[in-house]
Amino acid sequence: MRCRYACGSPEHMIARRTFLGVLGAGVGMAAGGSGPFLRPAMARQLEQSGRRMLTIYMAGGLSQLESWDPKPGTDTGGPFRSIATSVPGVRISELLPYTARQLHRLALVRSINTKENDHGKGRYIMETGRRQEPSIDYPQLGAVAAKFLAPEDDPLPGYIHITPGGNGFSKQDAAFLGPKYGAVTLGNGKPPSNSVRPEKLSETEEVNRQHLREQISQRFNLRRRTAQTEAYTYSYEQARQLMLQRSVFDVSNEPPKDLERYGTHDFGRHCLLARRLLEKGIACVKVTHSNYDTHHENFNFHIEQLSEFDRTFATLIEDLAERGLLDTTLVTVISEFGRTPRINHQFGRDHWGKAWSSVIGGCGIHGGAVIGKTNDNGTEVVDREVSGGHLFHTYLKAVGLNSKDEYTVNGRPVPMADPEAEPIEELLS
Amino acid sequence: MIGRRFKDAIALRRWLVAAALVCAVIFPGRGAAAAEKPLPLHARIDRAIREAYDGPWATRADDAEFLRRVSLDLTGSIPDVETARAFLDNPDTAKREQLIDRLLDSPQYARRMATVFDVMLMERRGGNRIAAAEWQTYLRESFARNKPFNRLASEILAADGARRGPRAAAKFYLDRGGEPHLLTRDVARLFFGMNLQCAQCHDHPLVDGYLQEDYYGIYAFLVRGYIVKDKKLGVEVFAEKAEGDVKYQSVFMPEETHETGPHLPGKPPIAEPQFKKDACYEVAPADQVAAVPKFSRLAELGRLVAGGASEAMTKNIVNRLWALMMGRGLVNPVGWQHDDNPPSHPKLFNLLADDFVRTNFNVKAFLRELALSETYQRSSQLPAGVTVAQVPDDRYSVATLKPLSPEQLAWSMMQATGVTDVRQSSALHKLAGDDPRFFELLEADAPRRAIKASLLENTVHAGLQGQVGSFVNLFTGLPGMPDAYQASVQQALFLSNSPQVQGWLNPASAAGVGSLMAKLNQVEPTGAVADELFLSVFTRRPTDEECGMVGSFLAQHPGEGRAPALKELAWALLTSAEFRFNH
Amino acid sequence: MSDPQPAESAKAETAATPPSPPPKAEPTKTHLVADFDAGSPLISCRCDPSGRFVFAGGQNSAIVRFSLADGLRTDLLGHQSWVRGLAFDPSGETLYSGDYAGRLLLWPAADESPKPRQTIEAHDGWVRGVAVSPDGTLLATCGNDRLVKLWSTAEMKPVRELSGHESHVYNVAFHPDGKSLVSADLKGVLRHWDVASGNEVRQLDAGKLHKYDGGFRADIGGIRGMNFRADGHRLAASGITNVSNAFAGVGNPAVVLFDWKTGKEIRILLSKAGHRGTAWSVDFHPDGFLVGLSSGGGAFLLFWKEDQPKEFHQFKLSQNARDADLHPDALRIAVAHYDGHLRLYEMREKPPDAKPEAKKETAG
Repeated sequence: MRCRYACGSPEHMIARRTFLGVLGAGVGMAAGGSGPFLRPAMARQLEQSGRRMLTIYMAGGLSQLESWDPKPGTDTGGPFRSIATSVPGVRISELLPYTARQLHRLALVRSINTKENDHGKGRYIMETGRRQEPSIDYPQLGAVAAKFLAPEDDPLPGYIHITPGGNGFSKQDAAFLGPKYGAVTLGNGKPPSNSVRPEKLSETEEVNRQHLREQISQRFNLRRRTAQTEAYTYSYEQARQLMLQRSVFDVSNEPPKDLERYGTHDFGRHCLLARRLLEKGIACVKVTHSNYDTHHENFNFHIEQLSEFDRTFATLIEDLAERGLLDTTLVTVISEFGRTPRINHQFGRDHWGKAWSSVIGGCGIHGGAVIGKTNDNGTEVVDREVSGGHLFHTYLKAVGLNSKDEYTVNGRPVPMADPEAEPIEELLS
Repeated sequence: MIGRRFKDAIALRRWLVAAALVCAVIFPGRGAAAAEKPLPLHARIDRAIREAYDGPWATRADDAEFLRRVSLDLTGSIPDVETARAFLDNPDTAKREQLIDRLLDSPQYARRMATVFDVMLMERRGGNRIAAAEWQTYLRESFARNKPFNRLASEILAADGARRGPRAAAKFYLDRGGEPHLLTRDVARLFFGMNLQCAQCHDHPLVDGYLQEDYYGIYAFLVRGYIVKDKKLGVEVFAEKAEGDVKYQSVFMPEETHETGPHLPGKPPIAEPQFKKDACYEVAPADQVAAVPKFSRLAELGRLVAGGASEAMTKNIVNRLWALMMGRGLVNPVGWQHDDNPPSHPKLFNLLADDFVRTNFNVKAFLRELALSETYQRSSQLPAGVTVAQVPDDRYSVATLKPLSPEQLAWSMMQATGVTDVRQSSALHKLAGDDPRFFELLEADAPRRAIKASLLENTVHAGLQGQVGSFVNLFTGLPGMPDAYQASVQQALFLSNSPQVQGWLNPASAAGVGSLMAKLNQVEPTGAVADELFLSVFTRRPTDEECGMVGSFLAQHPGEGRAPALKELAWALLTSAEFRFNH
Repeated sequence: MSDPQPAESAKAETAATPPSPPPKAEPTKTHLVADFDAGSPLISCRCDPSGRFVFAGGQNSAIVRFSLADGLRTDLLGHQSWVRGLAFDPSGETLYSGDYAGRLLLWPAADESPKPRQTIEAHDGWVRGVAVSPDGTLLATCGNDRLVKLWSTAEMKPVRELSGHESHVYNVAFHPDGKSLVSADLKGVLRHWDVASGNEVRQLDAGKLHKYDGGFRADIGGIRGMNFRADGHRLAASGITNVSNAFAGVGNPAVVLFDWKTGKEIRILLSKAGHRGTAWSVDFHPDGFLVGLSSGGGAFLLFWKEDQPKEFHQFKLSQNARDADLHPDALRIAVAHYDGHLRLYEMREKPPDAKPEAKKETAG
C-alpha cells in the first residue's frame, strides 16, 4: 500500500508539523494568527503592476480529443476532424473554429498527466497546484491573485467566480490566506446574494444602522478585541463596500452590441461580465462553463457545449487583446481532467487524467507555443509530461510572483507551489 | 517546647517523627477515614488552574455575563428576556447553582447536546441511510436520560443498524459509506482523540505515541464490516464478515509484513475464539443477506468501550467536554492527543479522567462541575492594564471568546427578536385550547411540568428549525472536517440584507405575546426601551452611556420614524461582535 | 431460409396449387444465426432491398458489406467520418450513405468491390439521416445544419431545401405513398412536409423523446429511429425518455407511435423491466408488431404489439449495439454491435441440427 504523502517531501514535513499540533487540523488556522507575507516593496510593486487573471473552468472534464489535441482518423479519434489555426502547423478540433483564429495569442499544453480521475481531487490539483492532503488545505489560484495582485484595501473582492447557477457561497478556497481572499460567487452571473439593501430600508437608514452597529461594538471591542472579532467587523465593511459598488456586477451596463457579440446564452453573458470585472481591476475572475462530463453521447454534447464556448471565448480573447489587457491578464482554460481515448458503447468518453490538455495565454506567455505531445491515438504522453504543479508554478511566475517563495503560516514556512515541480520555462519570456 | 535547641540530629529526627505522628492524629489527612468530604471536582479544578499560573486573572464574570454564557453553552441559545430579568434581579447567592441545575434539566439541554454530538461525530456530512431526524432523536433521548458516555460510545461503535442496539446509532458507520480506512481515521480521532492519519503508512519517526500498529489495531475491528441491503429487514445495514485478516507494511520498511488482530490503542490484541471454517457464521453472507458472525469484532469493540477499557477514550471525551465549556481543550487542538502535544495541565487532566470514570461517565454531572468552577465563571474581560498579547493561550486566566455555532447563532437571533417567544406562545395557546383538561393536568407536579416543557420545546423546534439551514450553509466549511470559525462578506450580507433576518425584525405576536419589535413599539420611556432591548439581545442591562445613546437616537427619529429607528437599533445590537461571540 | 420470390412464382405458373405462405415470424423463438466481424465498433446497419447484403457503418469510417449467403466481407472505403445514414434505391443497385463530415456518397451496392460513384458536400456538419422515396426518384438528407434537403436521384442535384427545424435534424423518412416526407429533430419535433410543394403540412410531437438536462445544461434526445408502417397509417419514432441523468445515459428506451391521419400520438411504447438506455431503431413488421433495439444497461430486441404499451417479448443481446434493421425476408434482424460485430438474429425456431453461422473470414 503506497503512502500518498511522499515521506520526506515538503508536504510531508508540513503534515508532520501540523501533526505536532502546531498548525491545527486544516482550516482551523484560518482565523487569526499571522497571515502570510511577502517583502513589502515587492508586494506594492505587484499591486501596481495591474496584472490580473482570467480562468475559464470547463466543469466535468473537457475532452482533449474534441478540443485541443484531436486525433482524427484513428481508432480513438471519433468522428470530428481537425482544422488549421492561426498558428502554422497547429491544428485543433473542428468544433473550435473561432478559437482557432485566436490561437496565436494562446499556448497549448498537451502533455498533462495528473494521474487523477476523480472530479473533486482532479479539480483540487488544477486549482491549487497540489494534491489534496488531510492535514493542510492549499489556497486556490484566485485567492493567491486576490492576495498579491489586488490592493490591500480594495473594497471589491479580489477573487470572483461566475457560475452557471447556485447561490454563491465559497467554502475555504483561500485556505490559510484567510476568508477575505475567498471567491465571491456570482450565481448565474447575478450580483452576490443579499447585496441589495432591504426594500423598506432607505439609504439614510442604512447609514444609521451601520453607524449604530459600530458605536455599539466599541464598548465590547475595547476590552475584548481579538483577531476573530476583527475579522467579523471587517466583513461588514466589505459588505458595505460591495453594496455600494454593486453596479460593477451588472452586465446589462455593457453596450448592447457587446451583449450580442458574446452571445445571449448564459456563458456569453458571464464572459462579458468577466471582461467588465477585469476592466474594473478585479484580480481574478473565474467563469465556469458547464458541463463536459460526457460518459454518454460525448460527441453530441461536445458539439452543444463547445459551440457555446467557442465563439464567446474567442470574442473575449480578441477583446482583451484589442483593449491592451491581454499583456497583463493571464488567461487559463482548465478542467479537472480530460476524457478517455476509448469510446464507450453509448458514444461516451470517461474520465482521463493520464494524457490531456489545457490552454494558457496572456501576461507574457508565448502565443502559439505548444508544450508536449501525446502519441498517435492519445493514449499517453510522449514528450514533456507536466502536472498541475508545473502549471501552477507557471501561472505564478507569469504574473510576477516567485513561485519558489514560501508563505509563513503561524510561524511555519509553506511553499507557494509544489516543491516537486517548477515553471514551464518554454512558455515564459 | 519546640523552641528548645537539640543537641544532635538524631534527637531532632526523633522529635520530628513524633511531631508528625501527633499532627496525623490531630489533623487527619486525605487518607484518613471518611470523617471529611473530599473537595468537589470544581474546587479541585480551580485549585489546579490557580497553581499552574501566577496571574493576572480576570475577575469573576458578572451575573449577566455568566447567565448568557452558561445558557449558550448548556442550551444552545441565549435566555428569554423574562428569565434574564428574573435572574439578574434575584438576590439569592445560590442562584448560579440553581440556574445551572435548571438548565441541565431542561429539554433544551438534550437538544443542545444532540446538536453538539451530531456535529462532532458526523462533521456535517450528508447521507441518508439513517435520516437526520432519527439520529437526532436518538442522541437527544440519550442526553435527556443522561446515558453514561461509555454506553453511548459503545452503542455507536458496535452498531450494525440491524439487531445490535438502536438502528440510528449506526449512522456513524453507514453514512460514511462503511469505508474502513475512513472509519478508522474518524474513530481514532473522534473517539480516541488520536489523529492517526499518517499512521496508516508508518510509525511516526519522532513521536512514540502514534504507531502504525495502533492504526491497524483499530482498523482490524472495522475492516470486516460492509454495507448491504438486507432483503428481510428492507434496509441497508452494517453487516460483518467472519474472515479477513489484517496485514500491513511500513513504507519505511516495505519488506516486513506485520499482522494484527483488533486492539485498542496501546493495548494488547483481544482474544478471539477460533471456529472451524464453515462454522463461523450465525447467518452466512449471501446476496441481500447481512452476514452475522458468531464472534463479532464490532460487538467486542463495543464491549471494551462500555467497560471503560480505553483511557484514551475517557481522556478524549473529557477533553472535548472541557473544550466545549472552556473554549479550549486541555489538549489543543482537540483530537491530537500524543506525547509531543501534552495537555496544558497534565495532573488536572488525569484527575478529570479519573473522576469521570468514577462517576460512571456521567456527562451531566461533569458539565455541572465545570459550570460551577471559578475557572469557567471567570470573565472574558481583560484585567485592567493587560493586553491580549499578554494573556497566555492556555492558562484559563481570562475566559476565551467562543464564536457562536451556526445553530447557536440562528436560535439566539430568533430568541433575541422574540420569534421563539411568539412561536411558543402560539404553541401554548394551541395546547391549552385543544385539550384544556390535559393542559391542566400538565401543571399538576414537577414531572408533568417537565413533560409540558418538552412538548413545547418540540413544537417550537419543529416549527422554527427550517430557519436554521441558511445559517448552517453560510457559517460552516466543508463537510468531513470540524467546524471552524471564519468571517466572510457573504455572511455579513446575509445578516444585513436577507429577507429572513429582516423578517425577524418585524413586529409580530401570538396570543398576547409580542416579538421584540412589537414590544418596543409599545414602550415609551427611553429607559424602558433600552432596558428591554439590551436585555432581550445582550442579556444585560444597558450602561448609562448606552441609555443616553438610545435616547438621543430616538429623539432624532420621532413620530413615524420611531418604529424604523427601533428596528435599526435592534439590528445593530443583533449584528454586533458582542452578540456574535459567546463571551 | 426462404429464397426470394422468383422460384415460387415460377411454380405458381406451372401448377394450380397456391404457393405456400412465407414462414411466419415467431419473435419468441429469436436466436442468433450469423456473426460477422466488421473490425471496428459499429454505428449503423441496413439490409439491402434484395436481401443479399447487409451494410454497416463503423467507427473507422468504413462501410462494411457482408454477403449473407457466404459471409464475404467487403470494405467500402471513401468516407472520412462516421456513417449513420444508409439508404438504397428500390432496386438495391445504389447505396446512398451520409457521414459526419457532411458528405453524401453514392455506391454501386452490388459490385464486387464498390467504389464511390459520386461524392457530394451535402450538409454543413453531420449528415444524420438519408432516405429514398418509394419510386426512387428523390433522395432526402438531413443533418446538423438543421436543414432537410431533397435531391433528384437521376442527376443528384439539390431540388429543395426545407428549413424550419430549430435543432439538429436526426432522421428523415418518406411516407409509403411518396407524397409526404417526415423529418425529426433533437427536440422531438417531427415536421410533415408535402414533397411536391415543399410546404410544411403540420408538426407531430415526440417531445417525450427529448429533455433539457438542467444539471448538465445540455439537450438529450433525438429521433434515433423512424419508420412508417407499410400501409402508411402509422409512424413510429424511437429514442430515449424519462432521462434523469443525460451524461450518464440514465433514461428508458421508448418508441412514440403516431396515427398518421390525425398526427396524434397513440401511445408510447416502453420496456417492462424499465431498461436503461436508448431505443436506437424501430421497425414495423408485416405481421403487425414492432421491433426495436434498446441498448444502454444491457442490450435487447424489444417486440411490441401496437395496442400494448409494454413489450410482449424481449430478446437479450450479448453485447451493446447501436442500430438494427429488419431484413426483407421479415424473419431476420441485423444488429450493429459495439464490439465490431454485425450479427443476424432469426425470429424462428432454431432447427435442431443447425449451428449458428460461425464468424466468417473477412475478405476484400
